[in-house]
Amino acid sequence: MPIVHNGAVTSCVFFAVSGNSYSAGTFISSTVGVPALTHSFCKQNNPAVQTMDPSEVEFLAEKEMVKIIPNFSLDKIYLIGGDLGPFNPGLPVDVPVWLALNLKQRQKCRIVPPEWMDVEKLEEIRELERKEDAFTPVPSPYYMELTKLLLNHASDNIPKADEIRTLVKDIWDTRIAKLRLSADSFISQQEAHAKLDNLTLMEINTTRTFLLDSLNCMYKLRSNLQPGSNKGKALDY
Amino acid sequence: MPCERMPMRYGHSEGHTDVCFDDSGKFIVSCGSDGDVRIWESLDDDDSKSICVGEKAYSLALKNGKLVTAASNNTVQIHTFPDGDPDGILTRFTTNPTHVTFNSIGSRVAAGSSDFMVKVVEVSDSSQQKVFRGHDAPVLSVTFDPKDEFLASASCDGSVVVWNIEEQTQATSWPVLQKTNDVSNAKSLCRLAWQPGAGKLLAVPVDSKVHLYERGSWDHVSTLSDDLVTQPINAVAWSPSGQFLAAGGVGGFLTVWDVDSKLCVERQKQEKGYTVCGLAWHPSGNQIVYSDTQGSLGLLDGLSTSSSHPSTKATKAPASKVAKDYDDLFDDDDDRLMDEGLSDTNSPAKNPVAGDEDGDDDDVVPATGRVRNRGAFLDDENSLGSLKLGLDKYGDDDDAGSAIVAPAAPAVPLRPVYEGPMPTPPQKAFQSGSTPAHLTHRFMMWNSVGIVRGYNDEQDNAIDVEFHDSAVHHAMHLTNSLGHSMADVSQEAVLLACPSTDELASKLQCLHFSSWDTNKEWMVDLPKGEDVKALCLGQGWAAAATSAMMLRLFSIGGIQREIFSLPGPVVCMAGHGEQLLIVYHRATGFDGDQALGVQLLQLAQRKRQVIHGEPLPLSRKSYLSWLGFTAEGTPCYIDSEGVVRMLNRSLGNTWTPVCNTRESCKGKSDHYWVVGVHENPEQLRCIPCKGSRYPPTLPRPAVAILPFKLPLCQTTTEKGQMEEQFWRSVLFQNHYSFLSSSGYEVDDQAQSQAEKKQQELLMKMFALSCKLEREFRCVELAELMTQNAVTLAIRYASRSRRMALAQRLSEIALEKANQMNEEEFVEQEDSSIRRTSGYSQAEATGYHYNNRHHQEEEEEQREELEEEEGRDMETEDAAENRKRLNPFAKRGSSPEKPALKPISKEGRVNPFKVLGSGRSSASPGQPRVTNVLDSMTSVKKLAPLSGSAGKTNKSPPLKPLAPRPKAKTQSTLMQMTGSKTANKKAPQNVESAEDKMKQPEVPPTPSPVDNAENKRPKTGFQLWLEENRKSIVADQPDLEETDIIKEAMGRFRILSAEERLSWTERAKGQTVDAADLKKRKRAEGEGGAENENAHVEADESVAKKKKSLDPSSKLSAFAFNKN
Repeated sequence: MPIVHNGAVTSCVFFAVSGNSYSAGTFISSTVGVPALTHSFCKQNNPAVQTMDPSEVEFLAEKEMVKIIPNFSLDKIYLIGGDLGPFNPGLPVDVPVWLALNLKQRQKCRIVPPEWMDVEKLEEIRELERKEDAFTPVPSPYYMELTKLLLNHASDNIPKADEIRTLVKDIWDTRIAKLRLSADSFISQQEAHAKLDNLTLMEINTTRTFLLDSLNCMYKLRSNLQPGSNKGKALDY
Repeated sequence: MPCERMPMRYGHSEGHTDVCFDDSGKFIVSCGSDGDVRIWESLDDDDSKSICVGEKAYSLALKNGKLVTAASNNTVQIHTFPDGDPDGILTRFTTNPTHVTFNSIGSRVAAGSSDFMVKVVEVSDSSQQKVFRGHDAPVLSVTFDPKDEFLASASCDGSVVVWNIEEQTQATSWPVLQKTNDVSNAKSLCRLAWQPGAGKLLAVPVDSKVHLYERGSWDHVSTLSDDLVTQPINAVAWSPSGQFLAAGGVGGFLTVWDVDSKLCVERQKQEKGYTVCGLAWHPSGNQIVYSDTQGSLGLLDGLSTSSSHPSTKATKAPASKVAKDYDDLFDDDDDRLMDEGLSDTNSPAKNPVAGDEDGDDDDVVPATGRVRNRGAFLDDENSLGSLKLGLDKYGDDDDAGSAIVAPAAPAVPLRPVYEGPMPTPPQKAFQSGSTPAHLTHRFMMWNSVGIVRGYNDEQDNAIDVEFHDSAVHHAMHLTNSLGHSMADVSQEAVLLACPSTDELASKLQCLHFSSWDTNKEWMVDLPKGEDVKALCLGQGWAAAATSAMMLRLFSIGGIQREIFSLPGPVVCMAGHGEQLLIVYHRATGFDGDQALGVQLLQLAQRKRQVIHGEPLPLSRKSYLSWLGFTAEGTPCYIDSEGVVRMLNRSLGNTWTPVCNTRESCKGKSDHYWVVGVHENPEQLRCIPCKGSRYPPTLPRPAVAILPFKLPLCQTTTEKGQMEEQFWRSVLFQNHYSFLSSSGYEVDDQAQSQAEKKQQELLMKMFALSCKLEREFRCVELAELMTQNAVTLAIRYASRSRRMALAQRLSEIALEKANQMNEEEFVEQEDSSIRRTSGYSQAEATGYHYNNRHHQEEEEEQREELEEEEGRDMETEDAAENRKRLNPFAKRGSSPEKPALKPISKEGRVNPFKVLGSGRSSASPGQPRVTNVLDSMTSVKKLAPLSGSAGKTNKSPPLKPLAPRPKAKTQSTLMQMTGSKTANKKAPQNVESAEDKMKQPEVPPTPSPVDNAENKRPKTGFQLWLEENRKSIVADQPDLEETDIIKEAMGRFRILSAEERLSWTERAKGQTVDAADLKKRKRAEGEGGAENENAHVEADESVAKKKKSLDPSSKLSAFAFNKN
């Protein structure tokens, strides 16, 4: 099944081809640069289908860059992922979220919230999200994770933290509702495939397990209902 | 009528006032725009009783112990008098009432309002109201007929209406006033007045005259006017007897007319010319109290308005007649003398009035004094009029409402208005990196160390100090009980200062947190009357500039140090390390410009002033907005136009604009608020402020970084870009020399990196100019290069077949070599001078340093060579060498120096000729130079073509005079040039020296000679000698070397002509062989010893292969990998 992902977490494809024993299955996947966390659901008869758990997605989100204002002085540091710094007290510098949070916890920096983490901008996004039927592009592929991470650890550096939390939750809820709705219509209309754009990894992740299982289950039921076709060949995809 | 004008006194705050006497005449009662009614026992009463009636009080009336006021809360209130207890509200309007008045018996009150209505209310029962509608504009004033039959009112609609009170109808109406839309815009308050007693006449002020209307017929019976009253009259008041009418108006006139005779009997002027807006007679009739729009009260006393006036007048008439004639004489004389233009005071129309007044005045004032007085009065009047005009013109809008100057004052000559450049208000002193002091939450300081925030609101008056680097100190929170308004913060301390208050002196407080003892704070009181205006912190010191134009220095521990006077009021100060930068007002600026001066002091061990109060260049119509140092210690400032200027120490302490922050702004009203400047890396740290000049404290602003950009021309082109980069790099490198000169450690790596970058830029520009066929430009660029880069440039030029260019470049290379030597020389001689002032020496071309830098690198090489050469030169040539050395030392940098090559070429052809012509012998370096050129095949042809080359041919060869150190340098240089160029002979000398060392069996002949021989074709004799030497030695073994030669000479002469010729022929042939031999030798020798050359050669060969490639790729082949 030649599904090529270009690394962007922008679309999610459902496949539910009934009747074809070979390619039947549900496919929800996304590819991120970390091989260990890339899952393939193409393999048949893999009882231990690895699903990503939210903490793994969060782990990925921690690679996002965020601006901090350090209160210490340090030369460039050379890490496998790239060079960071130099750190000058009072001067904003881009670092990955994991480092930002670490420094923040040690009170070594202030975090500058990302541009989109702003009440007005989020309100706009929320309105748009509510208005549109399809998924709208989100400000960051890890908006939910980042919001959670930053607000939990550095809410003192983010103005109107509570409002932002609410707004992001609103956006999230709207999107998840849409996702459920899509899944529902996908199943009820018995479509073979569907494509959803602008989904984030975390959103895909929330619905994957349940959707896969239920599709599998439904497939089993359907194949049993149809006499003569592939009887007893119920496969767990 | 004699009267005394009492001095004015303060009554109320500035604004509209009204005034009256109480019934008994014991108290003066006034109200003003401060909303207070004040009860004065006399004008001198300093302890008046105040009753607050509202926010503003517009009018008051007093009768029978009841005080009625019109206040801004839209009500007419009653207070008891003299207790001042509130006694209820009489009536209300929909907007503020403008005037209130009692009827003659005090039973009713009439009130006019801005809502166009007039009301008449019974004082005893406020429910009994009569409303008079009919005005189409706010009511200006109201007055009762003494018989309580009629009511008159004036309004902004231009009409004066008489109402029948019972019928509530209009009895008559006169459209005599000027129309306006509001009381505040009315030219005159038009306070009407009904003659007391029978109420026969109604006085209406109309512009500068008073119209009198007759009761009943409502005819305009007469007009009272005075020539001296040219501006609108605000208020009129009848004397209690009804005989006199007083009027006061704009410009401060107070006039009293005798109504019967219609003559002006008294004329006074409010001392400052403020508009009179309230006027009242004392019940006795001998005093008039008045108030003006500035809130002051005045009194005219001693008015003799006794009923016996007609008799007095009669008795005085003859006297006044006499006096009048007499006065006319004086008037003629004096008025002409004083002001010819004012002689119209004697106009017939005025004479009666003047006469009358004169008559009265004679009693109290000596005649001469009076005349002078009057002249002065006239004079005053005129000038005041024009002043008033001027004042209004310049926007004194506050009292414009009541004091609009009548345009009808054409008689008053306008004082010529100054139209030249207007002085700029000098900018106030400020702390750079602070937001304005009036903000409740503000940054008191934001610099590269930390942030000081000031909070000054209801809950809190506090200061927060926060450090960017938490390693410096933890954050501090201070209560700001002293009201500090200035702050600075450094790595050592926080300095705070507050201005003086009534009780407390101005204080300077220092939180010296880096102190190692337990006392981390000190405070200093400034002398009385001296305020801290600006302050700054340096390393180990603090400075405060005060309002006494003084600069006080303190040690960081609190010891008072130097004190000196500033040349002008301080604007801003900044400190860094040992440097103190002060900007002050040098003079008054004009047309929006500020005239600032700047001083830079060095407070180190050797204290001195680096910049002696020079003008500080600012953009047009801008002011200083930030002053400070870069992190590296270069003074820097920013003006309100956003231009960042930095001190260029290498160009005589001039200021170079390095950035315009406004260019980076997106919106017109956006600004960048600078918090720091760094030279390495080149960063302008600032806070972007959307739509403002200053950032708010919340949300916490984020720092952004702007790049620097010199405002060079055409920076869109490649050339412009590179030029800009180059000069910026040069400029931002200045601090290295400054730092090293003031004894700091310098980041050598960064410095050499910057230098390398500059040289690369120069090479790129060089290549670009080459491509554009701009050879002259190439040479100019080469002059900016270091020696190393020049040699690369030479290679590049020769590779791109620009021989003329290459030749010139090699001249430059030579010059640079010389320069370097001189420098070294100078360095040795006066190294002490250098240490202190090295950075300020001319280095405008930017290669200065680099040269020095390279010098050091090459030192070692040179030393090696020195050893070799020294050995060679020690012998007979030593004397000659010494000779060479001295003349060079004196000669300095002769411009002809670079032009040596053609000559040396000559020298090669005929060395003896050179010697014979008085030029010194070829130095070891000479042939190498020659070689550079020889390598370029076309040089010989080109050289004579160029003028300078021709010239140099004539000039004496300077090269040979080179001193030893120079020769050394040259040798290194030539090694490089030689290797670069294709000339295989280049390293010959070195080689030959080496050869000699390697082959000790060769007789140690003096090296120069040897060299010469090596170079020069051997003569036939020499060849012959070589062959026959052994035989001679065999023949006469006891001979000395010289004798051998003598003997050989003898023998050689004996030979036949043919034989000698054949030897000569052979000699010529051998030269070539010898050269070949050398070549081979060199190839071997260099492999080991001359690493560098070999390397370059390899490079070269690579480059050769790439020859066909474009210039830039060629350039890249010249990578700076030599050092």
